[in-house]
Amino acid sequence: MGMIATAALVLVALVLGAALTLLVERLSTPHHVEPGPAQAADVRHSLVIANSDRWLLPAGPVVALTGVALALVVLPFGPGLIGRDLGIGVFYVIVVIDFVVLGLALAGWGANTAHAVEACYRIIAQLVAYVVPLGLAYVGVIMMARSLSTVAIVEAQSGLWFVVLQPIGFVLYLVTGLMQSYRAPFLEPFAASIGGGVLDVSAGWSALLWRIALAGVLFLVAAIGALLYLGGATGPLLPGWAWMIIKTYALMALMLWLGRLVRPFSTAQMLALSWKLLIPLGLLNVLLVGGLILLGVGP
Amino acid sequence: MTAGLEIIAFAICAFIAITGALGMTTTMSMFRSGIFLMASFVGVAGLFILLAADLIGVLQIMMYIGGMLVMILFMVLVMHDPGGAMMAGMDMSFVERWFSKGLVPREPAQSGHAKHMHGDHQRGYNDHHHGNAVQPDEPNDRKAAAMRSGHGAHPMEHTDDDEQEGQVMHHSGDKHDDMDMGGMDMSMVTPVRPIAVWLAAAVSVVLVSMLLLRPAWRIIDAAPDPDSARSIGHLLMEKYMVAFEGAGFLILIGIFGAVLLARPSTHPDDPSRSAKVAIDERPEPIADDGLTPLAGARGSTEHHMHRHHRPEEHGA
Repeated sequence: MGMIATAALVLVALVLGAALTLLVERLSTPHHVEPGPAQAADVRHSLVIANSDRWLLPAGPVVALTGVALALVVLPFGPGLIGRDLGIGVFYVIVVIDFVVLGLALAGWGANTAHAVEACYRIIAQLVAYVVPLGLAYVGVIMMARSLSTVAIVEAQSGLWFVVLQPIGFVLYLVTGLMQSYRAPFLEPFAASIGGGVLDVSAGWSALLWRIALAGVLFLVAAIGALLYLGGATGPLLPGWAWMIIKTYALMALMLWLGRLVRPFSTAQMLALSWKLLIPLGLLNVLLVGGLILLGVGP
Repeated sequence: MTAGLEIIAFAICAFIAITGALGMTTTMSMFRSGIFLMASFVGVAGLFILLAADLIGVLQIMMYIGGMLVMILFMVLVMHDPGGAMMAGMDMSFVERWFSKGLVPREPAQSGHAKHMHGDHQRGYNDHHHGNAVQPDEPNDRKAAAMRSGHGAHPMEHTDDDEQEGQVMHHSGDKHDDMDMGGMDMSMVTPVRPIAVWLAAAVSVVLVSMLLLRPAWRIIDAAPDPDSARSIGHLLMEKYMVAFEGAGFLILIGIFGAVLLARPSTHPDDPSRSAKVAIDERPEPIADDGLTPLAGARGSTEHHMHRHHRPEEHGA
């Protein structure tokens, strides 16, 4: 399969996954709940903001979407159904999703309105909150699978899923995944109190790209969660890709449902939660996993 | 095919790295400057990946995206003019003007002036979109001209507003002509800049000539390690463990120091630390607002006191 064909297939997967995610999210959001990143988009009109930075503002959604598309390359949807099996797979995913944060910060600053700049600050503060515990949630899995490659991680779970062996890591991933995808209760950067933040200053093509990028982030987070903890594209009877899609959307539904049970967090509360609770929990998880490996449990 | 792709990828990465560095040093907006520096590092990371050091390249991207964004945030908190709104109105060289394109100069504080400048911004914006690549912003030039000339030599098209601004500038400081830009000299027009440019040009000529004149590059046909993450991990955790853990310990000490500095002082109830909030303890009443008084208001104003007392007087 040539490189261009692979890239096209990855893009198709991104658009389909993001569209289905957006559909699921918009159908499952009641009216009295803040939609956050899944709010309705005005695609028909374009928007000119008087004092905006004419380079940074349009660069935002492009950068974010590029990050999501690049991360999707290493996601295995079944045997052979993977863009490229990189040796540094999941670490590459962690890094490349950061481009979404960069894009949001670029657009928030570039729009040069009070709400958007506020959203830019919140985005960066939220990055500081989630990035360390998210890394710790990956580390347990990587230790047990003894590889960074996504395919090797799936193979390592052929006997037993890691959610059974590392329940703390799974919970940690659920929380930090919600933070990373800006879904409730961690939707402070897209809160209605600041008019939806960056989405407030986007219309037309940029609004469309933002929706694809933000829905793509949720899709990616759920898919990576299914890959890390639920055994990825393996399962009985059905083909691999069907299992991957079922697991991804089941995990997504679980995350969205759990997230709506909690009151929304402010950015400061997110930082406190992260540094006082999640990071110690993550370190504990790493310690426990190390003990399990020494005891010979796991693959 | 592969070699051609490699050369194209190298050219793109090198272009991003060099353009990012140039933009970082020449743009007027400090936020953009940080972003350009980030772009430059991402270009360098691309070069690492081309050299089959994928882990190092991705590590570089991770460090610089997260780290640079947080650094930019702190810079915005502390700096005087992070968006370049003030600097964008200044006299700029060609490169600086190009990398600062699209920045909007700050509107002056006079209230009557703001509307006028706003109209100009819109016009400048339209100019951009008609594709005049290097034409400077009209408001930039006019404002810069007004700043340079004081109130002496105005071109004909200056309106009364500009005249006013020139006079204000002049009154604000008599040393206006000595300190160019009236006290806002911010190192963009330093006397060492030409020397620095020539020095940089000379160094790059020397470097490129060394590259070209070096007789033979030694080429080893050892294949790069496809699983470089594993070997780097072993190196860090075995051979260089003391240095690695020592660096980690140093960072931990740094975090401790930062927490110590940011800790609330031993007198958190000191009045000088309290937030200043401009809310009246007893707000003035709004007469005839047509609202029923709040239950907890308990007659905080004379107005309500009268209202409450009157029926009693009638009853008596």
